[in-house]
Amino acid sequence: MERRDFLRAAAAAAALSLVPHEAEAQAARAWATLAAPASPDLPVAPLSEAHRAIIRTVADAIIPRTDSPGANDVNVLGWIEVIAQDYYTDAERTALTTGLDAMDALSRQLTQQPLAGLAGAPLAQVMDALDAPTDRTTPAARGYSRLKGLVIHGYFTSERVQKDVLKTQIMPGRFNGAADMPTKGAGRDE
Amino acid sequence: MSDLTSTLLSLGTRQPRERRVFDAIVVGSGISGGWAAKELTERGLETVVLEAGGPIDFGGKDFTEHVQSYELKYRGWGDRNTIAKTQPIQGQCYACDEAGHKFFVNDFENPYTTPDNAPFKWFRGRQVGGRSIMWGRQVYRWSDLDFEANAKDGHGTDWPIRYKDIAPWYSHVERFIGITGAKEGLSQLPDGEFLPAMQMTVVERAARENILKKFGGERVLTIGRAAVLTQNHNGRAACHYCGPCERGCVTHSYFNSIGSTLPAAKKTGRLTLRPHSVVTEVLFDAKRGRARGVRVIDAVTMQEHIFEAKVVFLCASAIESVRLLLNSKSTRFPDGFANSSGTLGKYVMDHHYGSGAGGTFPGFLDKRTEGRRPNGIYVARFRNVTSASKDFVRGYGMQGGSSRGGWGRGSGMRGYGAAFKQSLIDDLGPWGLSVGGWGETLPYEDNTITLDPTVKDKWGVPAARINVTWRENEIAMNKDIIASGVELMEAAGCTDVRPSRTMHPPGHCIHEMGGARMAKTAKEGVLNGWNQSWDVPNLFITDGSAMASTACQNPSITYMALTARAAAHAVAELKRRSL
Repeated sequence: MERRDFLRAAAAAAALSLVPHEAEAQAARAWATLAAPASPDLPVAPLSEAHRAIIRTVADAIIPRTDSPGANDVNVLGWIEVIAQDYYTDAERTALTTGLDAMDALSRQLTQQPLAGLAGAPLAQVMDALDAPTDRTTPAARGYSRLKGLVIHGYFTSERVQKDVLKTQIMPGRFNGAADMPTKGAGRDE
Repeated sequence: MSDLTSTLLSLGTRQPRERRVFDAIVVGSGISGGWAAKELTERGLETVVLEAGGPIDFGGKDFTEHVQSYELKYRGWGDRNTIAKTQPIQGQCYACDEAGHKFFVNDFENPYTTPDNAPFKWFRGRQVGGRSIMWGRQVYRWSDLDFEANAKDGHGTDWPIRYKDIAPWYSHVERFIGITGAKEGLSQLPDGEFLPAMQMTVVERAARENILKKFGGERVLTIGRAAVLTQNHNGRAACHYCGPCERGCVTHSYFNSIGSTLPAAKKTGRLTLRPHSVVTEVLFDAKRGRARGVRVIDAVTMQEHIFEAKVVFLCASAIESVRLLLNSKSTRFPDGFANSSGTLGKYVMDHHYGSGAGGTFPGFLDKRTEGRRPNGIYVARFRNVTSASKDFVRGYGMQGGSSRGGWGRGSGMRGYGAAFKQSLIDDLGPWGLSVGGWGETLPYEDNTITLDPTVKDKWGVPAARINVTWRENEIAMNKDIIASGVELMEAAGCTDVRPSRTMHPPGHCIHEMGGARMAKTAKEGVLNGWNQSWDVPNLFITDGSAMASTACQNPSITYMALTARAAAHAVAELKRRSL
């Protein structure tokens, strides 16, 4: 059944029965039987393997796996590659890669190790320097700020996080302007 | 399949053997075109609606309101490179996004020009339903404060109508389309016939009380009045609060012409809806002194056709209708159709907006919103209502809303790791509250639409040349909007109040008005008080071009009411054989 056909039927049922919440419940039941949409095909990556490795390391440091998926579990890197290849201008793409190189240089300066694959205390040392920089205008600080925004957006807009963590309801069926905060793990439906 | 659904699905299909002669022609199928079609067909006229754009799947396949971020390649950021290639102007509209850009025109097929020093943003939708698919849905009645303004301060020409003339038609429209709102008893913002109001958030409720107290009731923050159903109404389901109405609505829970007025017209059996019909000229019958019909180019085949009718309604949008009239020249009307007054293409207006203020609203951290409300808050006009401003005439309303930051605030927050991630999941951050002003613009003779002497659209029709600028009054009002926005947010209880000092160029508000204004005499305007041409009695123009002033309220419901009123008048005149 097409999603739209189902929604149209649900709407017609609601209009006829004058019980919209029943239609919503019907919607939720039918919704659960629909196949999940396929993810878009990812293009050939525009970033070098070294850059991808830096992104994986930093993305997982920003949003690690806990009792919910981490950034790499939901392939944030894949979305960043889409942005880098098809969305960014040449200048923005250069800013991204230059920033990644600067972050790597900072890691080598602070820990004598490359940023990609860094873990434990050395990674924390680099992340602290990047996340709370004394000078926000350095290439490393600007690169990190750009990457952090990409990681957060990519993570929270991913299908797994939207469905399993935030538990977003596509058709809430009501608006409550003074709802209580949910209990932990109950989803947030931003 | 319900009757409604089958009716919707059957719309937009071509007739196999095409009629070319009708009782009525309606040019445009959007907000006003849909209303013209409904009223004219229900009153017995065989009516053809000529829409320049293509058909829309009435069953909802063209709508994308339930498409989620993860189903979009750019996760909502938009396909900006493609949009830059085809829609560099349309892409500046908030609704022309990754999911909804197909409802906006291709800028290169539909060019327009402006002077270098007078930018104008013309956001356009060419499809069955027009911009009623992507409109903002805010609906506010005008009052006599608005209809009397031109006469009182001398700007523009006096409206030939007053509130009492249109009030029953506001009710007529409201009863049919369904409006959510709260009655406030304000003379400058008359109450309508409302469905239950949408809830305000806890923060908005607190702000309302604080503002009422601070300003002694002079400034009223209320829930927005919107053409969205809060209960099932006229065969349409109540809103399910999914959020992005501008992408369409498969349940037709907000008003657009393809979910409401066009199906009603179709039910009469007297509607012919013809998409891909680019009207290029209104034809004049010099012998009778009447409009004979219109010349149409088929947008797909490029073939030319003539459609004839007893009455012609132009509902193509302010700029399109003026452009069409300017392109319809004859010996009788060398300067544009029905333009003996010389006012055609003049006194063009739009609301100015973009400025306001926002702040952080402390407290209420144990509360959140559930569902995505397709509506905001409204602060009714207070300037020049009870006391005169020394800096400007007229006034402004304010629109806004409140929300919590959510995970989006994470980019600007310090922190990383498990605790940071959990704080973005579990904690929504503080509440924010903001308002922005929608300001009245004065009618200036030299804010104009003309035809560009060289640039033509894809179908060979001369492009509109739009020359509209803000003047002293608008700029002074904009300054006051910033100051009073800050004042309001502080009175509401906000901390960290920040002004917004934007003044978008004309057109950006998508409230284009004027160009074929109503007036009390044939010398002062194109139309009389019935939206009827002074020069050509069987020509009616009921879109934004008819407006003699802008007020500060969103104008669409006034177009709808004026259209319904004009259609009733046209049919009555036809019956009297006056046309």
